[in-house]
Amino acid sequence: MRRRASVALLTTLVLGLAGCGGAEGSGDRPTEVKIAGLWPLSGTNATQGTDVLHGAELAVEIVNGVYDGLELPLAAEAGLPGVGGAKLKLVTGDTQGKPEIGASEVDRLAANGGVAAVVGSYQSGVTLTASQRAERLGIPFVNGESSSSALTERGLKWFFRTGPSDQTFATTMFDYLDARKQKGDVVRTIGVLHTNDQFGNDGADVTKKVAAERGLQLAADVSFDPTAADLGSQVTQVRSKQPDVLFVLAYTDAAIKLMKTLDQLGYYPPALLAYGAGFSDPAFLTGLGATANGASSRAAWAQEIAEKRPAAKTIADLFQQKYGAPMTENSARSFTAILALAQAINAAGSVEPEAIRTALSALKVPADQLIMPWDGITFDAKGQNTGARGVVQQLIDGKYRVVFPAEFATVDGVWPMSKARQK
Amino acid sequence: MTDLVQAVVNGVLIGSVFALVAVGLTLIYGVMDIVNFAHGEMVMLGMYSSFFAWSLFGLDPLVSLPITGAAVVVTGALMYYGVIGPVLGKSPLAQIIATFGVQVFLRGLAQFLWTPDTRTVNGLWADDLKLSFGGVVIGGPQLIMAVGALVTTLAVALFMSRTRIGGAIRAAGEDPAAASLQGIDPRRMYALAWVIAGAATGIAGGLLMNAYSASPTAGVTFVLMAFVVVALGGFGSIAGAAVAGVLVGVAQGVVGLYAPSYTLAIALALYLLVVLVRPQGLLGTR
Amino acid sequence: MSDLAAPTKDSPTTDSAQPAVERETARRSWPGWATPALIFAALVAYPFVLRDSAAHNIGILALTYAIAASGWNLLGGYTGQVSFGHALYFGTGAYATAMLVRAGMSPWLAIALSLPMAALLAVITGYPVFRLRSHYYSIATIAVAEIALVLVTNSSWLGQANGMELPITTPSLANLQFSLQDKRPYYFVALGFFALAAGALALFLRGRAGSYVRAIRDDQFAAAAVGIPVHRYKLAAAAVSAAVTALAGGFYVMFVLFIDPSSGLGLDLSVSFTLMAVLGGAGRFWGPLLGAWVLVIVQDVTRHQFSGTGRSIDLLLYGALITVIAVTEPGGILALFARLRRRLTRRRKEIR
Repeated sequence: MRRRASVALLTTLVLGLAGCGGAEGSGDRPTEVKIAGLWPLSGTNATQGTDVLHGAELAVEIVNGVYDGLELPLAAEAGLPGVGGAKLKLVTGDTQGKPEIGASEVDRLAANGGVAAVVGSYQSGVTLTASQRAERLGIPFVNGESSSSALTERGLKWFFRTGPSDQTFATTMFDYLDARKQKGDVVRTIGVLHTNDQFGNDGADVTKKVAAERGLQLAADVSFDPTAADLGSQVTQVRSKQPDVLFVLAYTDAAIKLMKTLDQLGYYPPALLAYGAGFSDPAFLTGLGATANGASSRAAWAQEIAEKRPAAKTIADLFQQKYGAPMTENSARSFTAILALAQAINAAGSVEPEAIRTALSALKVPADQLIMPWDGITFDAKGQNTGARGVVQQLIDGKYRVVFPAEFATVDGVWPMSKARQK
Repeated sequence: MTDLVQAVVNGVLIGSVFALVAVGLTLIYGVMDIVNFAHGEMVMLGMYSSFFAWSLFGLDPLVSLPITGAAVVVTGALMYYGVIGPVLGKSPLAQIIATFGVQVFLRGLAQFLWTPDTRTVNGLWADDLKLSFGGVVIGGPQLIMAVGALVTTLAVALFMSRTRIGGAIRAAGEDPAAASLQGIDPRRMYALAWVIAGAATGIAGGLLMNAYSASPTAGVTFVLMAFVVVALGGFGSIAGAAVAGVLVGVAQGVVGLYAPSYTLAIALALYLLVVLVRPQGLLGTR
Repeated sequence: MSDLAAPTKDSPTTDSAQPAVERETARRSWPGWATPALIFAALVAYPFVLRDSAAHNIGILALTYAIAASGWNLLGGYTGQVSFGHALYFGTGAYATAMLVRAGMSPWLAIALSLPMAALLAVITGYPVFRLRSHYYSIATIAVAEIALVLVTNSSWLGQANGMELPITTPSLANLQFSLQDKRPYYFVALGFFALAAGALALFLRGRAGSYVRAIRDDQFAAAAVGIPVHRYKLAAAAVSAAVTALAGGFYVMFVLFIDPSSGLGLDLSVSFTLMAVLGGAGRFWGPLLGAWVLVIVQDVTRHQFSGTGRSIDLLLYGALITVIAVTEPGGILALFARLRRRLTRRRKEIR
């Protein structure tokens, strides 16, 4: 505790001496509040990184523009009234999907540009190092779309996650399995097929833990290299263990290869539950077409929840209009993260990192002011939003439909998944 | 049990392609005593040219094989006259660094021109073909890939051993001085060897698109495999490359059944073992 | 440079005659200590002349990689064993330091302990592999490093693909951790380590070991014929080379507070060490330092040229640079300077 306090004191002193960070304009009232957005804009996850960037850009537009009638905070006025109407400016950096580049980008943007806060970075492994760098520099780091539970277990003071952690997602998915059991489906054993990185390994650990808590047996735990050319052997391994439910953690390329391999081998577990990521990428659907039917995935957001959250439909339509592609749970999360940060800066009334940090800790956003199917935004002592929730959706007839929880579900899940593939 | 048979079958199929990928490397080494560290990138360029022939002109990778072969031949020729020629006869360090430099350059070029995204060919006409017997499945694309590779390897082997030009190339490789006394220009033969290797490599790249995706880093994995195959089969021996390719493919397939993350490591360990214990490989003469 | 139309082929474990590389002549009107003094003076002045954080960052990285490349140079440039797997030692330094610090050890002690670990690893892997001749040896070094990469990526006690994070502690010299707002303490620690590495390398090269390894590089059979224990000195050079490279890795992990297989053991990293040494001048003492600065600057400048599109030209430039160097002047930039200087002095003599 003392160490953290002295680090905070030291950094605040240094920052105070160095002057305002992240503001343009003369003297006290800045006309622009710069925030850095770091995502994989190149490399294998570039399509998802771009999607997330678009979500963030849309949020910046909403904040800066005048959107009467849109029931979202900061939409009705131009800019941030709490900071004299200053506009938000998003400065982007490309992490290339690599943890060490994510960290050095934080360094570069914070040192030269002087940003008030950092948002990012999609892959949990990159968010890990980037947020650690932000912690050392004493700058708030707001994360929307990285789900590894480890991120909020580090005792960091400057890290805030608005989105659900894999712990939350796992709970949602296992609740769904309980619901299926009550409908008579057999759920006794599980398998986990995961990419070998922060997101995959951590998610696998969480899955195994929750499974044990719920009395389900682990039949197979298979990891694969993110760059593996071929998943044949891994799938064969899983098939030999015949799990009732297969949990999958994979980015787009591997997700596509997986579905193709399942098709080739003609093997389908009764249920496939993915932890989003590649399965949420529009490229996943376009790359596979009907081959993807039957797969389920956890999601932090879905198009279908629009009925329960009026602003969600408006934003989703705006997104589609502006970018020619549907909003995904990834872009929805980054949208929400930016909005939350903007609210905090607004409440702080300043661009001082420490003030923003305090405002973030105290932030309370009610559920109906979000486009997400969440209970709201409130950060606990670890920086995790306790109101974050997930839903389970399944690919039926080429579209994702929410199947759980009942509050948001539009159809019943299809079990076993091979039923969804019969034409 | 069927899983094991499936793994072996998959191994034979992919091993045939490893063999073809290794043919170019071993040919160059056998004739010019140069290890082309940029070999993997030539494969990668073959893959990309196959991809673009498909995405721009709608040509199935099988149909575009002549194009991919030609593309790599051209690249090879450029590399030969620009880089290899000048360093022939210089110190091994200079040669190693030179071909390594070309490797890095080609990788950077691919990334610059075509971004790091992977490119996949969809809707191959071989897609609908599927053989299955006793629980073992052989996909059409994989089969085509293997057959194509075996045919090409055989063609190169026959060319080198049965034709007059092939004999001239081999003569230039074994003893350039004696060869020139017989009226064979060693430099011209080297260039020819380079062309043949380029064609074989380009075809390998095109065949690989049936089952794999092209990306700037695709070359790195394949070249490591190629080194293993060449070492195992014997530097300079095409027949050795063929046999070794299939062996390495099967070894990978079987290992992949039990420990998929270690397939590359096992292959490399195999290289170390062979090079230390039997440096001339299975069918090499030295 | 020999003029063979085509090199002769030998079996993998023998070596063909290598052309002699120019020795550095010491006959200048210039005292031997002047060059190092000037260089260090410039390095010390750098962070005061250039005051922004980005410049300091470049300096720290340049010095770190200069240490690693100098380590490589001892084995590759001076002993003639071209390794493309030196990231293995960098990674050993980084991972060993990280694990020991996480267990509570002082970073200085941790780094110090990682050096003999790397040296031992070099000797163990070198023992069988040094019997191979040039190409085979180089490929073998790649094989060893890649195997290590696979092992680390799949070992949970080594962090798997996630890597390892070091905890943020109070900034202090004892903790080898400083605020990132002013990076100069990091810079001077890096400079101190570079001086240490340079000293160790100079000592090795100046002594008997130095002349032995040069002899091995020039013609290892002649060397053996004269009674030099070739294999033993190759191993000695490998051990020192590995320890120096590990020093760079240990410092790096204390600076970045994170290490994973890609940033600590990757093939690209190994290649960059080789590049830096070759670009600056393999077999020349200050070559790696020069090469490191050039490449780090080039990388920084090019990385943001096409930012956001993934089309960075730094790989392209590296590759072009190395190829051109290998084809035109394998001795690197310093050899180029030496050639130019000779041409100028020759002209001056002619004028007189």
